[in-house]
Parts: sequence; C-alpha cells; structure tokens
Amino acid sequence: MANKNKKNKTAIKGSARKVAFPTFGNYNLPFKYFIEQAIGAECILPAAHTKKTVHFGELNSPDFVCTPFKHTLGSMIELLELGADTLVMSGGPCRLGFYGELQKKILEDMGYEFTMIDLEWYKDAKKSEWLKAIKSVNPNVNVPQLLFEVTNTMKMIKYIDEIEELYHANMGFEANEGAYDRIYRDFLFDMKMASSGNDIKNAYRKAKVAMDDEPLNKPDMPLRVGIVGEYYTIMDKFSNLDVENKLCRMGIETHRLMNFSNYNLSGIEQKLFPAAKNYMRFQMGPTSASTIAAAEKYAKQGFDGLVHVKCFGCTPEVDVMPLLQKLSADYHIPVLYLSYDTQTSDTGLDTRLEAFYDMISLKKKVLKN
Amino acid sequence: MNKAKAYIGIDIGSISTKGVIIDESKNIIASSYLWTEGNPVGAVRNLLGVLKEQFDDEKYTIVSSGTTGSARRLIGAMIGAGVVKNEITAHAVGTTTIHPDVRTIFEIGGQDSKIILVENGIAVDYAMNTLCAAGTGAFLSSQAHRLGVEVEEFGEIALKSKHPTPIAARCTVFAESDLVHKIQMGHSREDIIAGLCHAVASNYLNNVAKGKKIVSPIVFQGGVSKNQGVVKAFSDELGVPVAVDENGHLMGAFGSAILAMESRKEAPFTFDVGEMDFVTKEVTCGKCSNHCEIICVSRDGALIDSWGNRCEKGEIKTHARK
Repeated sequence: MANKNKKNKTAIKGSARKVAFPTFGNYNLPFKYFIEQAIGAECILPAAHTKKTVHFGELNSPDFVCTPFKHTLGSMIELLELGADTLVMSGGPCRLGFYGELQKKILEDMGYEFTMIDLEWYKDAKKSEWLKAIKSVNPNVNVPQLLFEVTNTMKMIKYIDEIEELYHANMGFEANEGAYDRIYRDFLFDMKMASSGNDIKNAYRKAKVAMDDEPLNKPDMPLRVGIVGEYYTIMDKFSNLDVENKLCRMGIETHRLMNFSNYNLSGIEQKLFPAAKNYMRFQMGPTSASTIAAAEKYAKQGFDGLVHVKCFGCTPEVDVMPLLQKLSADYHIPVLYLSYDTQTSDTGLDTRLEAFYDMISLKKKVLKN
Repeated sequence: MNKAKAYIGIDIGSISTKGVIIDESKNIIASSYLWTEGNPVGAVRNLLGVLKEQFDDEKYTIVSSGTTGSARRLIGAMIGAGVVKNEITAHAVGTTTIHPDVRTIFEIGGQDSKIILVENGIAVDYAMNTLCAAGTGAFLSSQAHRLGVEVEEFGEIALKSKHPTPIAARCTVFAESDLVHKIQMGHSREDIIAGLCHAVASNYLNNVAKGKKIVSPIVFQGGVSKNQGVVKAFSDELGVPVAVDENGHLMGAFGSAILAMESRKEAPFTFDVGEMDFVTKEVTCGKCSNHCEIICVSRDGALIDSWGNRCEKGEIKTHARK
C-alpha cells in the first residue's frame, strides 16, 4: 500500500507520538486519517463504548456535569490505558469549551502523564498557531502535504455524513435483511483503512453504488421522522443508545440535519438563524437555531413526527423545548422528547419509541383513508 | 358445537396486575384486578385462576391473547401471547373504544404517569414521565404509610378538607420534607391529605402535561383515578369536569385484548399455563465488557425465550421459539 502511494506523496518523517481523540460518532475515522496521513503520527482509535467506559467516566466526573463530559472522559481514560500520550479535545460553543481543561486536570490528578491539545485555545487562533500545535506533535511535518490531506479529511467527513444519511433513509426498507448494515460496516472499515484521497473516493463510490443497487420495499408514503437536538448526544450512538437505528428498524425513514458537515463545515447555525425567526428572535445557544429551523422544515414537509434528543441538563436545548412545543401545536406534529444520562438500560427508551411508532403509524393509516 | 370467540388481555404493572376477557363485540365478560406484590409470574397465575372461574368455557373459547405493562415481555413469553404491546398504545386503544369522543387521557399508575392526546379517535401525541416518580401512585402510598392511613381511604378523607395545605409539588423529596414540616406545624390530617392530592395533580400538570394542549372531554384512569381527592384536584385546577370510568383501572388490559383481537393472530390459549413450571434465570454475558444481563425463561425445563442482550453476540438460541 505504501509503495503505491509513493508517487504522489513524499514520505514524512514520522513522529513517535500516539495521538487520540475521545469517541465521537464516526468522526474518529477522519481524525485518524488526519493524524496519520497529514501529520504522520500514530492514532489510537477508541474501542466500542461499553458499560465500563461510562462507569470510568461517571466515577471521575463532577455529578452535575452533562453526559458528553462523562462519555468523553471515560473514553479518554480507556485511550490512555491503551497507550495514548497525546489527547485532543474539541472546543465547543457551550460549556463544552471548558471540558478539555477540566478533563486535563482530572486525568492529571488521577496520575496519568500526557499532553493535552485543547482545540478551544485555537478557536480564533492564527494559522501560525495551529501550525505550532501540529509541530508539537511532529516537528518534521510537511506543510504542503498537510494542507493537501486536510482537504482529503474534509472530504472523508462529507462522505461519511452522506452515506450515513442514505443509510438512515433506506435501511428500514431493505428487501434483503442486513444488506444495508453490511454495506455500511464495510464502508466504515474502508474509511478506517484509507491512506489516500483515492482510497476515500473509492470507498465512497463503492458504498454508494452498493446502496443504490440494493432493492428496497419502500411504500409510496413511508413514515418519516426528523431527529433534532443537542450536538454530541445526537451524533454519538453510544450516548443516545442508537435511537436512530432503532427507529429505522421499525420501518421509518429518519432525517437529521445535525452532523459535522452541516454544523461545523457549512455553519448551519448562522445560516439557518433567519429561517428560525418565527420562533426565536435572538441567538439562544449553540444549536438552538439549527434545532428549530430543522424542526420547522421537517414539519412543513409533512413529516410524521419529531424526536428531540438531548443530554440531561443541557440548558440550551431545554430552552428550545417550549419553542418546539409551540411548533408542535402549530403544525400538528408530535414531538418525542428524550433526555439522556448515563443509563445503560434500553427498556424505557424502547417503550417510548414503540408507543411513538404505534401512534404515528396509526395516524398515517387513518389520514391515508 | 361452535363456540363464540373470546380474547384475553393482561396488564402487568409494577403495583397491580389486571386481566380482562372480551367477546367479539368488545363486551367485558370476565375481569380481575389484584396486586403484583413483586411477583409477576405468581400474580398472573392467581389472575388466571380468578378469570377461569368467571369464564364460561361452554359458551366461549379464547382464540388470542395480549399482554401489556412493564412485565409484558416476561408474561407474553409465559402465556404465548400473540400481541405484546406497550402500555401507552394499549391505554389509547382501550379508552378510545369506550369513549370515542375523548380528547385527552390522563393516566397515573404506580410507577409512571402519562398523557395521551386524541383527535378523531386516534392518538396524536403523548408524553410520559421520565426521571421522577413524584406524582405517581407509589408516592401517594408511601405518604399514606407515613400518615398511618390506607391509601384507599385517601380520596374520602381529602374530600372532607376545606383548606388543602399547600405542599411543594416539584419533587418527591421536597414534597416529603415539606409534608413532614406541615404535619409538625399542626395542620389537620384532612388538609394535608387534600394537599397531597393537589400536589399530585399539579405535579402532573406541570411535568408530564407541560406544553400539551388539554382539551375536554378528559378521561382520567390508572390506579390513582380511584382516588376522589385527585380527581377533584384535577377538575379544580383545570376548571372542567374530569371523567373517571368505572373500568378505568382495567383499561390497559382491555386495550390489550382489543389489540389481540385486531391482530387476527390466533394462537391456542390455556388457563393451565399457570400450573406449568416457569423458571427465569439471569445470565451475565461475558463476550465483551458490556456484561449484558440476559434473562432466560424456561417452561418445564425447556428454554422458551431470552432477552436483554444488546448485540448479536449475546443471542441465545432457543429451539422452542416460534
């Protein structure tokens, strides 16, 4: 593999650093690509979340902090145990921005030795400061290649989001059981193994063609549900107990505007603020405009229901709830409110989703006739 | 001789277990209500015993069965139910059958409370309490215990009060400490009990029903609906009458029986199921660090169902599964 790519790639002198990012949906894969191909250091991928991860996080977190803190901290502990020596933590528009700093302190108190790169510090930083941070990981980094691989990383993120969208729209209607799962799993594996822009493009094409070829038993008017809510919990399937897949499996098409491409790369929060003006007159929080604008868009398109996902105690999203209630009454669209803490039992969620499904499917049947 | 078809629905809640048998025109021909007492299998055994006595097996034959409530899966496996449905759907179906014009259903049970909004006979929105047990039957019965009164007498006592004591309704813990304080201050027992009923009603309206448009006619059901004090508190707060059906406590089981009937899935049913030997066993899956607790149910020594695994690794194959 390495020889093949030699032509268009100057081999960079590697770094011995082991870099890791806590679990965040599928986005650990582009992070890995960036660290390995653009910077030339080793990346450690977090293992699938288990009860143990959550337990570690919970044990060492302040009690009233929101769930993403506990999940990411638990994940960091596991990564350090796996041998990571450099942790990267994202900044954030809400109190998430402080988490990197606090987690660093907690982990140091626990006795771990590592370097933390907290992206919060680089929010409004100059390019030279970014480069300094990157050079702290690998002093021999090749800048033109770095820039080239940044575009590839962005591409990977966009492809992952696009395939995921397709997957959630159709997987509930597949004619061959498990076919979509298989394609999706293969796609993520290909992305994990990708080492060049071509690999990324090929994996994307392969998955897209395979999904398009897969026969579907989709009715003319399938049940459609829009998923809106808080940034981390909505995207990380370990935190939300895979609510999206559960809905899909019942035979529902799910749509979610909130993903990394839309929120971080296209900046929907700013762009959609005017679209949310029927319900909010000023910026209320990091994801409020996206939540409201997406919810209204789905309602206008005649969706059968909305699911609002947030972690327990997420103030910005709690503030959005009265607006969603108003929207729900205006458009006659039911909203299911889900609040997540570090629970590990799915029973309560399953009961609510099942009832939600029964309700919207019965309503659809009556309206059709 | 051709026997008429009948359908059975069983609702196994945290506190009580309910069973209903209906005929093809949805009339209740047998019903029973008893305490679960932490033993759903035993409760269903007793329940089936009671129902069997009421049931006329020369005239009817049970062709389909349904279960609902928090132990629906367990009992569903035990009796071989054709329909295993959540309690929200069962309640909505049951109530709209008896009250076709209903617009809002209040339901307060032992452990949970819910609101269902109905338009043109179908449920269009619902909400269920999430984290807190304040404003449920369990809260009332624990406070009844503190006051030394049977919870069944609560309603009658509450109606005697002229000045219900205000009690903090936000949270069970606050309500309880407020209650103790008010008792020690010297408020009369009637006023305190009436205050508790108001606390349950306002907790419900502020938490579960928050943001929902409550439209009359309202039907109130679940175990707590038998408490006249809470019914009065609701109609005082809302300013409209709140109807309570005499079979309100059976509505989940009734809905479940209707769902069994509408499913058209016919499966043999026998009352003798209660005499078979059921064993549930908890197994911890060791295939990853999730350590899922898998529940295995076996009937007369043969494994019939299992659940609790979060991935296919923990799947336990059963030979007897349909």
